Amino acid sequence: MAARQSILGRAGIVLALVVFVFAATGPIVWLLLSSVLQQQALTSIPPDLSPSSFTLANYLEVFSSAAQLGRAIINSLIVATFTTALAIILGAPAAYALARLEIKHAGTILLMVLAAQMFPAIVIAIPLFITASKLGLIDTKLLLILVYLSFNLPIVIWVLRGFFMGLPLGLERAARVDGASPLQTFLRIVLPISLPSLFAAAIFAFIEAWNEFFFALIMTRQTAQTVPLAISAFAGQYQTMFGQMMAAAAISVAPIILLTILLRNTILRGFADGMLKG
Amino acid sequence: MAPLFLAPALIVLALLLAYPVLYSIWLSLTDASLSAGQLDTPFSGLDNYRRLIGDKSVLAALLNTLYFTVVEVIGVVVLGLLTALLLNHPMARWSGFRVFLLLPWAIAPVANAVLWKWIYHSNYGILNSLLLQLGLIDHNVTWLGDPFRALNMVLLVDIWKSTPFIAILFLAALQNIPKTLYRAARVDGASTFEAFRFITLPSLNTAIAIAVILQTIWSLRVFDLIFVLTKGGPADGTVVMNFLAYRVTFNFLKFGYGAALANIIFLASLLLSIIYVRLMNPGAPRGR
Repeated sequence: MAARQSILGRAGIVLALVVFVFAATGPIVWLLLSSVLQQQALTSIPPDLSPSSFTLANYLEVFSSAAQLGRAIINSLIVATFTTALAIILGAPAAYALARLEIKHAGTILLMVLAAQMFPAIVIAIPLFITASKLGLIDTKLLLILVYLSFNLPIVIWVLRGFFMGLPLGLERAARVDGASPLQTFLRIVLPISLPSLFAAAIFAFIEAWNEFFFALIMTRQTAQTVPLAISAFAGQYQTMFGQMMAAAAISVAPIILLTILLRNTILRGFADGMLKG
Repeated sequence: MAPLFLAPALIVLALLLAYPVLYSIWLSLTDASLSAGQLDTPFSGLDNYRRLIGDKSVLAALLNTLYFTVVEVIGVVVLGLLTALLLNHPMARWSGFRVFLLLPWAIAPVANAVLWKWIYHSNYGILNSLLLQLGLIDHNVTWLGDPFRALNMVLLVDIWKSTPFIAILFLAALQNIPKTLYRAARVDGASTFEAFRFITLPSLNTAIAIAVILQTIWSLRVFDLIFVLTKGGPADGTVVMNFLAYRVTFNFLKFGYGAALANIIFLASLLLSIIYVRLMNPGAPRGR
């Protein structure tokens, strides 16, 4: 009886896992599949998946018909890299101070950093747009680099604070006994052993910046256009070229999928835990 | 020494968050609008907020937002919990499952929206062709053609995209439950359901509360999906508060009124953040 129940139970789990895998990956598989199928195969009902329908032409055409996309990729790389670097440079010392140093009002500052992650973009977008217009910064990469700090800096501080708190205290104590100042301890001892954590936080900030659409939509026109904008424009322009639309989407998604697979453990452990515990 | 570590970050955050919020409050008290490239800001007191109350499009957006948020939060929390329980099962320990879980969360919202536009396509979309083959529908459905149906289809995508993060959150919380509790329950003859009801659920109380708050805040922010899939249509059926604030400000160029709308969203998010922060209860710095 118990054995039969557990066989039934096992079958149930397997079935649930199949449903889960299909639901989680199905749409993304269809995205990648559509990007390598000919228009004719995509518009037959049901879609024609015979080997002869596969092609790389969609990718070639996306790059030749949308010179914008090439520029957008370069813009996105520049914006995401610089905003990430700034977020780490500004955020790491702040995170360390919040994790280890005696600070007045540390609790309040921490709450503000946490609340800052919840800011609705629209409320800061309107004033920042007006200010940026007055300063002549609209449609510049510099503006996006700065504006993206508004969400990346709080996240980086929060995630790194969690990592720093998890470090064993021994090394820092020893450094202090040897007469090192907090700054020396931070630069010579803490940072070198935290490189993997810094890297993980950086990748996370990079993904957020790479994917960002709302601020980019408001703050850029042509020159500083980023990948999400190019994809959205492309999809609006060529809405009947399904394969090309999916190829364009796949280009923006592929690096992120790779990063996610590489960093799965950091994301799963570090980030989710950080959202649950203070 | 400590202020030196903190000051640069705090100054940047003040410029990027605190200053815009104050500016936004001031803007909402003016009749700011852009005409001929010039921003005029005649002071108008609480006029914008008074106008909000009688504005039919605000009421419609508010109702859409309420519906969207309630359904999304319930959907995401229930599905997230089920997914976490499934992946916490010994048979689901293969790390590949967790990677699959992360994928919908990681992909760019815009690419995701473009993908679903293709899936929902009324003539060639895979959704219609799947449902036709399964015999669940007998003719192609224009998924985004009817206001209420469009809202639900947008919801479906957003639930799909948001569930993974909440599931990861629950997985982390599940792994923090001491195994000895379950062993003790088994010794006492508790059934699987009883163990779930009296150990798992109570242990997840805080995690569930946090998930509800976080997801509510995130639901209030949905934008990319609506912008790409429906642009607020058909017949404004998918205009939520966030989208309305964007449209009023950047399409109609009414900056004062837009700021008032944005401030309402901000206020709601702020109240939710305060509850969230209370639940997290972050401790004082450790060490020393």
